[in-house]
Amino acid sequence: MGRVAIVTDSNSGITQRAAEELGVFVLPMPFRIDNKDYYEDINITQEEFYTLIEAGGEVTTSQPSPAEVQALWDRLLEDHDQIVHIPMSSGLSGSCQSAGMLAESYDGKVEVVDNQRISVTLRRSCIDALELAAGGMNAAQIKAELERTGLDTSIYIMLDTLSYLKRGGRITPAAAAIGSLLKIKPVLQIQGEKLDAFAKARTSAQGKKMMIQAIRNDIERRFGGLDVHDVDIDMAYTRHEDMLLEFREEVAEAFPWAGEIHYDPLSLSVGCHIGPGAIAVTVTKRNHFS
Amino acid sequence: MNEMTIDAAMLARMFLAGAKRLESQQAIINELNVFPVPDGDTGTNMTATIMQAAEEVAGEQDASMEVICKSISSGSLRGARGNSGVILSQLLRGFTKVIKKQETVDVPVIADAFEKAVETAYKAVMKPKEGTILTVAKGAAEQARALADNGVEDLDTFFRGVIDYADEVLEKTPDMLPVLKEAGVVDSGGKGLVEVLRGAYDGYLGKGIPFSASAEEEAQEEEERLKYAYCVVLRAVLKQPLNRKQMSDIRSFLASVGDGVRVSDCGDAGISLHIHTDDPGLVLQRALMYGDLREVSVHDIKTEGHIEGPAGEPVTAEALELDSSIIAEEPQVPAEKKPVGFVAVCAGDGMAEIFRSLGCDAVIEGGQTMNPSTDDIIQAAHQVNAETVFILPNNKNIILAADQAKKMCDSENLIVIPTKTMPQGIAALVSFVPDDSPEENETMMKDAITQVSSGEVTYAVRDTVIDGTQIHQGDYMGIGEKGILDVGRDRVEVAADMIGRMMTDGQELISIYYGADVDEQETEKLQSVLSERFPGVDVEMQYGGQPVYAYIASVE
Repeated sequence: MGRVAIVTDSNSGITQRAAEELGVFVLPMPFRIDNKDYYEDINITQEEFYTLIEAGGEVTTSQPSPAEVQALWDRLLEDHDQIVHIPMSSGLSGSCQSAGMLAESYDGKVEVVDNQRISVTLRRSCIDALELAAGGMNAAQIKAELERTGLDTSIYIMLDTLSYLKRGGRITPAAAAIGSLLKIKPVLQIQGEKLDAFAKARTSAQGKKMMIQAIRNDIERRFGGLDVHDVDIDMAYTRHEDMLLEFREEVAEAFPWAGEIHYDPLSLSVGCHIGPGAIAVTVTKRNHFS
Repeated sequence: MNEMTIDAAMLARMFLAGAKRLESQQAIINELNVFPVPDGDTGTNMTATIMQAAEEVAGEQDASMEVICKSISSGSLRGARGNSGVILSQLLRGFTKVIKKQETVDVPVIADAFEKAVETAYKAVMKPKEGTILTVAKGAAEQARALADNGVEDLDTFFRGVIDYADEVLEKTPDMLPVLKEAGVVDSGGKGLVEVLRGAYDGYLGKGIPFSASAEEEAQEEEERLKYAYCVVLRAVLKQPLNRKQMSDIRSFLASVGDGVRVSDCGDAGISLHIHTDDPGLVLQRALMYGDLREVSVHDIKTEGHIEGPAGEPVTAEALELDSSIIAEEPQVPAEKKPVGFVAVCAGDGMAEIFRSLGCDAVIEGGQTMNPSTDDIIQAAHQVNAETVFILPNNKNIILAADQAKKMCDSENLIVIPTKTMPQGIAALVSFVPDDSPEENETMMKDAITQVSSGEVTYAVRDTVIDGTQIHQGDYMGIGEKGILDVGRDRVEVAADMIGRMMTDGQELISIYYGADVDEQETEKLQSVLSERFPGVDVEMQYGGQPVYAYIASVE
């Protein structure tokens, strides 16, 4: 089998620069903020983005246009035989579905993976895909593997405030479930396709403790008490890296076997719903592809 | 009198006289509070507990020993309010366990019964403390045993001996519990028990005020109770949630058409109300404005509540049955049980709203000044209609009653999270994780309550000394989990100093729940004092609406 290109979008948290280092291709996600168009990591930085939304800027997220997607694919197919396209979770965006439709006219050369990942867990999928491709799998086989293992992961995110969640339309059920007279730091969970309310905390210390416990429970129960060497812990944040680093120390202490914990800023399409000051920790079952 | 045995009728008479005596002394017992705060009414709690049993006993005519015992035991267990009420109910339960199988009882049997009573009550309390009602009961039991062993057979000598000794032990309680000594009082629960024994002895002598007879006060009360002809109880499933204003409108409407008004919010289950009125129609019509009616009952209390029928003849059990047939109960289709629900006890409309906003299904109005009974807790748990119901007592004087509710409730699995304050209850509720099992949540919630430190500000109702601090009537006191933290004349200062003492390193949030009598100006002042004094810590002010306690605060 010939060469397989791995494509994802900027929701993977993989920057254009990191993409080059890893050997994957990243489609930037488009946004409109106050009627102006932006592309993540192309003409808007995280810092600029949060400054705009903290000032009350109105964000609409969308998906890469078919033309942009096809242009990338066509270019890649010039020197690759096949493409594995891994967009953000189909539960959070329509990009997966549109890409799937576009792929139909590529005669099996493009496989679109629907494995419900986002952020650092989507990044894990890209790394898996690279490994599988290097191992000689074709695009369809890689797709099957990634979809089989897609749900072996959890993300827990503690928000600094409920207000952004209330502002955005898409995740209101989660917001509604946490609605309270008291100021609450909601802890959300992404497991599979939906972003959902997981628990509530009144202080960040309580929320952090809950997330660490939730990760521990996942390892013991969902993953059946795996050997800790079969688990990856990653982290993500919105805007405030210092908050993440502080939490990372706690997580490293709780899971000393996790080694150097990778972290990324959360992609802006998630960030616009949850606002700045969020911190996230994820657990992903490590795959041993034969 | 030289009787050697008592029979069922005598037992009933003695018990009713004991209850009556306790009731007549309740104000004095209420005064024996260690903390000079306008709450913690031991006398009221014990009286409410024993009265529920007394009503059941009074309803039994010519009953056997077993029936009387069952009425005493089950009535008091269900009616138990407050720690002293629960302990009293456990004493009665243990006592009746021994004598219920006898036709008549003599000194050795009563001595056994006393011993069983003490054993049962000690078991019901996690960490029995000496210098309390338990010690007085133990003293009475030991004396009873000693008299029996010494061959005392006549009851008069026996009763006098036991009561005198119990009184002696009561007088020594300040030597066993330093807080009593400092406050210059004997233990209030112990005092209550001695009064019950005294009353029972009076009943034995034929001296006591018969329970259902015509003491002036009693007559008045009876008249009060029977001022209206019907007792209406119902639940309304709301079309939409009611706000504070609407709830208070309902209460004032009901107060205008009757008395004995109780309206409680049952969260998703709607509201339940209780009233004595001459016009049930008005009540039903009003309730219909808010939603569909469930569990409607209309009792004719003029005849039913009376032990005597209209013609002055005792109402038979059959007649009562007949009366209760007018209960118009709507057949209720039980909705499917949800897996988990919550019942919280709290005082104040703001507090109730906070608890509901955090997912609490039913809120029992109560707390420092009004302790709900075991039965109230069981009823609220039923209404939640869940497999597992977490109970948040939110007051240290309600935890035992909640534990008792857990033991007595067989239709739901009750889990009592021993929250001693409302902030602890909030912390427990916040930490609930829907995905986890009830057992895991129990562990997490119990852990959560240790992570929050709470305090409250109220005023002193009398001069006293606590922990070496002189307190004058009218002073404001900041009371933490382990005792008095600050005393002063300026309420905002006391609150701020109290919080200062509660703070430790790394705490992020100060929550203040202000009471019904605190105005906006004062809360703003407190907010600014706190923000200035504790920079970098969030300060959140919330309306709690609780009586008596101007501020309930927590740091976490």
